[in-house]
Order: sequence, then structure tokens, then C-alpha cells
Amino acid sequence: MDSTKLMKLREESGIKILEIKTDLSSYAASDLRKVLEGLLAEKVEKIVVNLSQVSHINSTAVGALVGVAKRLRQNGGDLKICALADNLTRTFNLIGASSVVEIYESETSALAAF
Amino acid sequence: MANADIKLKIPSSVLYIDPVRAFIGNLAKNLGFSRKRVADIQLVIDEICSNAVHHGSSDTTVGVTLQIRSDVHSLEILVRDTGSRRTGQKHWLTHERLSEIEANRSPSNEGGHGIFIAKSLSDTYEMQTNAAGGTDVRVVFQLLKPAAIKP
Repeated sequence: MDSTKLMKLREESGIKILEIKTDLSSYAASDLRKVLEGLLAEKVEKIVVNLSQVSHINSTAVGALVGVAKRLRQNGGDLKICALADNLTRTFNLIGASSVVEIYESETSALAAF
Repeated sequence: MANADIKLKIPSSVLYIDPVRAFIGNLAKNLGFSRKRVADIQLVIDEICSNAVHHGSSDTTVGVTLQIRSDVHSLEILVRDTGSRRTGQKHWLTHERLSEIEANRSPSNEGGHGIFIAKSLSDTYEMQTNAAGGTDVRVVFQLLKPAAIKP
């Protein structure tokens, strides 16, 4: 199954919001990277990734988010993450990615941070 | 609950990691691991299997084998790859390579976190080369409270 169908894009105030509706394991992580690379190709500068419906994330998916956040910042943009379940927060903290990518409790607060 | 010795062989593709993760997660839950620990176990399995698929048996026709042992005290999982026939890459996870990965790991890097996660979240982590030219990774998760024995 193509997991990109479970990654819904919308826009609010010029910010792309990517809502993930599937666990981000090895299989879906490559699709996440494809979707994010597509946004970079479209010159999107501001992205919020909503993980409220994700119960599992692996290091490949975290790496994709970190990589895109770093690339966006080089051009004055950013990628922010919101609504993480406790175990996802622990994974980000364990890797140390929470010091690289901005994480917010809600989509509203992530949008407001731009 | 009797001791169990389960063997699984999956094609070397990330497509099959999710079902394995679900199976082992359900097994861990039934063994009595906490929800938090089940999530840890599932993450470790995802990382180890992903490494086995991408670096070990990177030819999709070559499988990855999982040997799962459980009893009232622990859940032990061995993930075995065979090296890559296509690339000729053997023993991808040598001690030298492991040291290099660990030395270079940084939160701002996109990759190189899988082994760190597996070592951090498991109670025992071992890796060694195998006779097939691949790598064996063995992890053990201890049950804090032994599981009740059911027939």
C-alpha cells in the first residue's frame, strides 16, 4: 500500500500542514521522505508536521524530519512538529532530535511559532 | 504460558517489517510487558530489521530470519541477515564499523541512530558476524515481574 495516501496536506496562512495518519515505520518513512522532498521541490518554506495520529516512529522517519528542517532553515524557513504521543517524544529525546527540531504540543501552537 | 521458540523468515523488504513489529508487539503485550516497554520493543525490532534489510540482506530475494524465544522472565529476539549477494557486502556490522557509527552519531544527523536506539532500549544487545556472511543481532528484554504461567 502507498502510505502517502495517509499523509494529508493542507495549508493555513501560507504554512503547509502535513497530517500523518499512519505509523512511521521503515516502510512509511521512505514515503514521508518523498512527500517532504516534494514540498522542498515546490519551494515550500514553512511546514508543520502533525503527528497526533502516529503511535510509532523510527529513526529513519525522525532523520527525514531533521534533514528537511535543516534544509528549510538554510533558506529562512522551518519545519516544526506537533502533537507527539509520549513514546514518540521519548524517541525524539533519545536520539537528541528534540534539540534540533522544534516540537509543539498542538498544531495551533506550532503554527503560531512561525 | 509455556516457553516459546518461534522462527520467522521474511523477504528482505521493509514491506514485511510492519507485520513482524505488530506480531512481536502483541507477543510482548501478552507476556506482560508494560505499554511503554512494548513500544520500546517494537521500535528496537523496527530498527534492527531495517538495518538487516538495508545493509545486510539488501538483495530482496535473500531473507531475514528472526528467532524469538520467550519465557516467564524475558523476550529474546535474534535477527539474522546473510550479507548482500548483489553488492558482495558481507558482515556489514563489524566492530570497526560499529565504533565508527557510534563515534559519528549526532542528533543533527539524518541517519546512524538505529543501533544506538537498539542498545539503549534493550536489556542485552549483542551483535556478531555469522557463518552465512551476514550479521546476527540479539536483543533481550527482561520482564520486571515474571509472567503468570497459563496452559
